[in-house]
Amino acid sequence: MGLATALIDGNNFYASCEQSLDPSLIGKPVVVLSNNDGCIVARSAEARALGIAMGTPYFKARQELERQNVVVRSSNYALYADMSQRMMSLLEIHCEELEIYSIDEAFGRVRRPKDGDLQTWGRSLRARVRQDLGLPIAIGLGASKSQAKLANRLAKQVPAHAGIFDLGHCADPDAWLETIAIEDVWGIGRKLARWCRLRGVNNARLLRDMPSGELRAKCGVVGLRLQRELRGHACLPLALAPSPKQETCVSRSFSRPITTLEELRQAVATYVVRAAEKLRKQHQRAAALTVYTRTSPFIPAFYSQAASIRLDLPSNDTTVLLEAALPLVDRIFRPHRQLAKAGVLMQHLQGTELLQSHLLVPLSEAQQQRREGLMRTIDQLNRRYGRGTVQWAACGLHPSWMMRRERLGRTATTRLSDVPVVHADR
Amino acid sequence: MDVRHQPLPLQPRRTRLSLPLAGERVAAGFPSPADDYVEVGIDLNDQLIRHPTSTFFLRVSGESMLGAGIHDGDLLVVDRSLDPRPGRVVVAVLDGEFTLKRLVQHHGRLRLEAANPAYPPLELHRCGDVQIWGVAIHVIHPL
Repeated sequence: MGLATALIDGNNFYASCEQSLDPSLIGKPVVVLSNNDGCIVARSAEARALGIAMGTPYFKARQELERQNVVVRSSNYALYADMSQRMMSLLEIHCEELEIYSIDEAFGRVRRPKDGDLQTWGRSLRARVRQDLGLPIAIGLGASKSQAKLANRLAKQVPAHAGIFDLGHCADPDAWLETIAIEDVWGIGRKLARWCRLRGVNNARLLRDMPSGELRAKCGVVGLRLQRELRGHACLPLALAPSPKQETCVSRSFSRPITTLEELRQAVATYVVRAAEKLRKQHQRAAALTVYTRTSPFIPAFYSQAASIRLDLPSNDTTVLLEAALPLVDRIFRPHRQLAKAGVLMQHLQGTELLQSHLLVPLSEAQQQRREGLMRTIDQLNRRYGRGTVQWAACGLHPSWMMRRERLGRTATTRLSDVPVVHADR
Repeated sequence: MDVRHQPLPLQPRRTRLSLPLAGERVAAGFPSPADDYVEVGIDLNDQLIRHPTSTFFLRVSGESMLGAGIHDGDLLVVDRSLDPRPGRVVVAVLDGEFTLKRLVQHHGRLRLEAANPAYPPLELHRCGDVQIWGVAIHVIHPL
């Protein structure tokens, strides 16, 4: 019967990761906050059942969370990234091909058995991920990515489906498609949804069956492709090997608004140091970089400014990148602006294997090799003894603008000092 | 910046401790007679970890498993993908804590036993909600 497309994702992924490695959280309501402990971005099933809303600002929800004994955690990306990698490698084994779509979801290609029924496959995959990682997943199946996406929604929304739903192998797919509101169809924005509703196209089934001509006139080939996908033609291929990164960005919101040049310099320097480290890890050099800063978009006098520079020679040497980036800070800084965020963008990246013969090379080959050795040593020290063991003075010593993560849990899978404790005392 | 003292992160990715290839540095002259016998090196990960995706590290606290050679402060290698069978040392979730015991079949019933007579066994059918979290496969004990 050929190949099916699956959309597999982790339920309440961040909250599930926290629960998976901390036994005191099993069965308890848990929420995870966004950067800077801003909003609720993940809720465990137990927290959901209490009616805690997604996206609520923490300061608004705080009292209610305390009253209901909800455990609150800051985002621990090191933990989620590690658990994500583990989950993806399990999925990879169970699919013919896998496209990692985000930290907690992936599209997979699965071969249908003779009778076309993938329930057994789905059930055993769910059991595997549950046992090996303690993570609950949902599986949606269909003939295309768009169908798989809708099926995944139905897998989660309808308790009787128990986390698996197959649009390509179910009793009445049309009836199921009719339960999905037009706004919830993957790829339908708010404006387009309104346009559809004006035409009486209120659900996924009606969108699939509406005249193609109208859809084409409204949103061109993108709309047509979506409709073809809903009809069961796989138009969107899986993106298998991610192309090497063309840009690397490091940006963070501040814990409080910054108003001085000195602090903005420290922040940008901190992000450059981090970005340079990333480049070295990716074996890449940047040929250009951009720094930017902005105020909060929610205050009346919004301000945002960026400045770029091209490097004479592509580099991943922190000193070189700092020398290029720091003068740009003067150009983006404005006094009396309540700056909320800054970032550094490394651009025009190229692999380190590219030859470095250049007339402008300011250092001899021996000098260059020593500099590279120095960077390697610094990276090793920081990896071994914790980030910031060797630090550039430009980053400042005890910056108070650093992102807030007051409720950070343990980085239980990748940091030896944080591994869970198992009791042998009872 | 986080300047806490953090040790080497342990990741499921490979970290190889390799012996240098013996013949590699001989630039000229006779080829080394050992060249054909060079092996790639010993990787402790290969020895300690069978399933990297489902293997986690836990720190032992307490002495109830001394009889199984597991000491206070040891690092435990736990594989969650293995099925807990009688005879294995397992990590159980008891009252919201990870607890280390041996799973034992006793008169046809499963129970969790310490490896230290000072601690009484736990009958599984008596304690309502016990979950086996993973199976311990190795213990790393500093001398």
